[in-house]
Amino acid sequence: MSASHHTTIVILLLSNAIKAGTILLFPTIGEIFAERVGILNLGVEGMMLIGAFFGFIVTRLTNNPYLGFIAGVLAGGIASLIHAFISITLRGNQIVSGLALTIFGAGFTTFYGQRWINMNLNASFENLKLPILSNIPVAGSILFNQDIIVYLSYILAFVMWFILYKTMIGINLRAVGENAKAANAMGINVYRVRYIWTFFGGLMAGAGGAYLTIGYAPFWLDGITAGRGWIAIALVIFAMWDPLKAVVGAYLFGSINALQFQLQATGTTIPSAILNMLPYLVTFIAIVLTSIIVKAKHIRPPKELGIPYSREEK
Amino acid sequence: MIYFEKRENISAKLKVVIPVVSLIIGILFGALAIVVVGINPYAVYKSLFVNAFGSWYAFSETLVAATPLMLITAGLILVFKMGIWNIGAYGQYIMGAIFSSYFAIFMPPGVSKPLMLTLMFAGGAIGGAIWAVIPAILKVFWEVNEVITTLLLNYIALYVLKFLMYGPWKNPKSFGFPLSKPFPSSAQLPVLFEHTRINLGLAFALISIIVIWFIIKKTNFGYEVRVIGNNPTTAKYAGISVGKNIIIAMAISGALAGIAGMVQVSGIIHFLQVKINANYGYTSIIVAWISYLNPALCLLSSILFGGLESGGYSIQISMRVSYGIVGLIESIALFSIVGAQIFLNYKLRWKK
Repeated sequence: MSASHHTTIVILLLSNAIKAGTILLFPTIGEIFAERVGILNLGVEGMMLIGAFFGFIVTRLTNNPYLGFIAGVLAGGIASLIHAFISITLRGNQIVSGLALTIFGAGFTTFYGQRWINMNLNASFENLKLPILSNIPVAGSILFNQDIIVYLSYILAFVMWFILYKTMIGINLRAVGENAKAANAMGINVYRVRYIWTFFGGLMAGAGGAYLTIGYAPFWLDGITAGRGWIAIALVIFAMWDPLKAVVGAYLFGSINALQFQLQATGTTIPSAILNMLPYLVTFIAIVLTSIIVKAKHIRPPKELGIPYSREEK
Repeated sequence: MIYFEKRENISAKLKVVIPVVSLIIGILFGALAIVVVGINPYAVYKSLFVNAFGSWYAFSETLVAATPLMLITAGLILVFKMGIWNIGAYGQYIMGAIFSSYFAIFMPPGVSKPLMLTLMFAGGAIGGAIWAVIPAILKVFWEVNEVITTLLLNYIALYVLKFLMYGPWKNPKSFGFPLSKPFPSSAQLPVLFEHTRINLGLAFALISIIVIWFIIKKTNFGYEVRVIGNNPTTAKYAGISVGKNIIIAMAISGALAGIAGMVQVSGIIHFLQVKINANYGYTSIIVAWISYLNPALCLLSSILFGGLESGGYSIQISMRVSYGIVGLIESIALFSIVGAQIFLNYKLRWKK
């Protein structure tokens, strides 16, 4: 094989890695913000499934992938409100409520998805070559010959990082996650802030799911997210609750996904079960290593993570 | 404005009412979901009920499904009581099934039944325990979040099983299907009641519930588990070795999930395959929660959810209603019960 052929394969592989990473990037950023205000939402997998499902159906019915994407995003957001109501208003156990949301998403999409199984989508996002930027050798064709949703995720990661660290909104939301009582004393409405960012987390999980079925794997299967929601939750720790570091994590894991498909497509002798295990195994190792580093560096999760807040009790 | 006012003491009446009402809410929302797809929910529920409790055979199948739920839930109660979130029963169950199947597949055929079953039992317990102790050690020594590690280990266990079933453990005579060799009769748990699939595993399950009840109520270890659950910091100052207790409790919990996996392959399926109902691992979390982490109530809830699972499988075949309905009902019941906990300690008040 010629050198240019190799380059083409690498470009294709990494370009797919960005797409696979985008599926993880949205929910990871969403969960970072939910956790930053103290709400642990283990329902990411369920919300992604719901987003993937509504994204798929609306795209299939309208042949408009953008409408489908919006539907998936909203569906994820609506699903997150169940968790928000239970953990914020009713002060229920966030771990159990989140798990219930994941079971709910799986049950809901299995039940209503029955008649859509193995159906395909004819419409998808089209790649949009960015002028000038896409002319950068190699990196240009990997990063800037993508679809609008991928560009949206670049902007989102940066904007959310900016909001978190450089604006009053960010200061307030971090205050809620670090010390809810003090935040309340500062005049911040803790309940409202928690609702908003839990909802944002749901919207983003929906976005990841919708991008999966519309932009990456344009068909419907039971449990099509295949644990990506859990990988996103792990990536939150990997990213140490920082939206920009989430980009690194998401693309790293996107690369593993892309590599795994590439290897399977080229007919490798490595058993497919081992290849399929790879993302989970690597996430597992990464999360152990990150946790050790986090502990050594004294970085820690938001102090109020998982703790219900009540204004009446002092 | 509506607000919550603290109760003087926990309402005992509500403790009974909440799980019952939660289940009813689950069933009502399930009915709504069924109506939307244009099927008569009454007919579906009637069929589900008949297939779960309507005859001795139907009930025996409910008990078959309840057996792994009891085993896994008993272990989960122990770890949940100390505030350790083992979400990995799914993977521990698979590992138990793999370890025990090793003996059934590879031991020479002449091995006596008692020896074979003992080896398989031990294999199941050890396989499950290993898979639970890994995240426990990571948690105790490096504060690695156990929710995430136990969950990721579920997927890893699933792919280990798939690797074995599509590769080295596949039966060459299975026409390409991912199945192991059938187990010899020496590797099959004895059936307890004729014409049913209820096997010795049910006895294991009942014993495990009693043992867990005994551990929690009557032993020093159980006392420490409860203290840690109330406040780990206090426990540490009281001289309790929190880390050691976490590892032991997780080992017990994993071992019970592993035994459940062993019971399923040895008592029900009689070979190893990819689909071994490992989802019991997730259902058990709901069962544990709906039982208020009480071993006696876990017996009742396991039978109830066993009926839901077993009836759910039947209506999928007889009425073509997707099995997803079971997950819908279970999750909505779980939402209700988690959301309703607040009413145990608080009253709803109205202030102008």
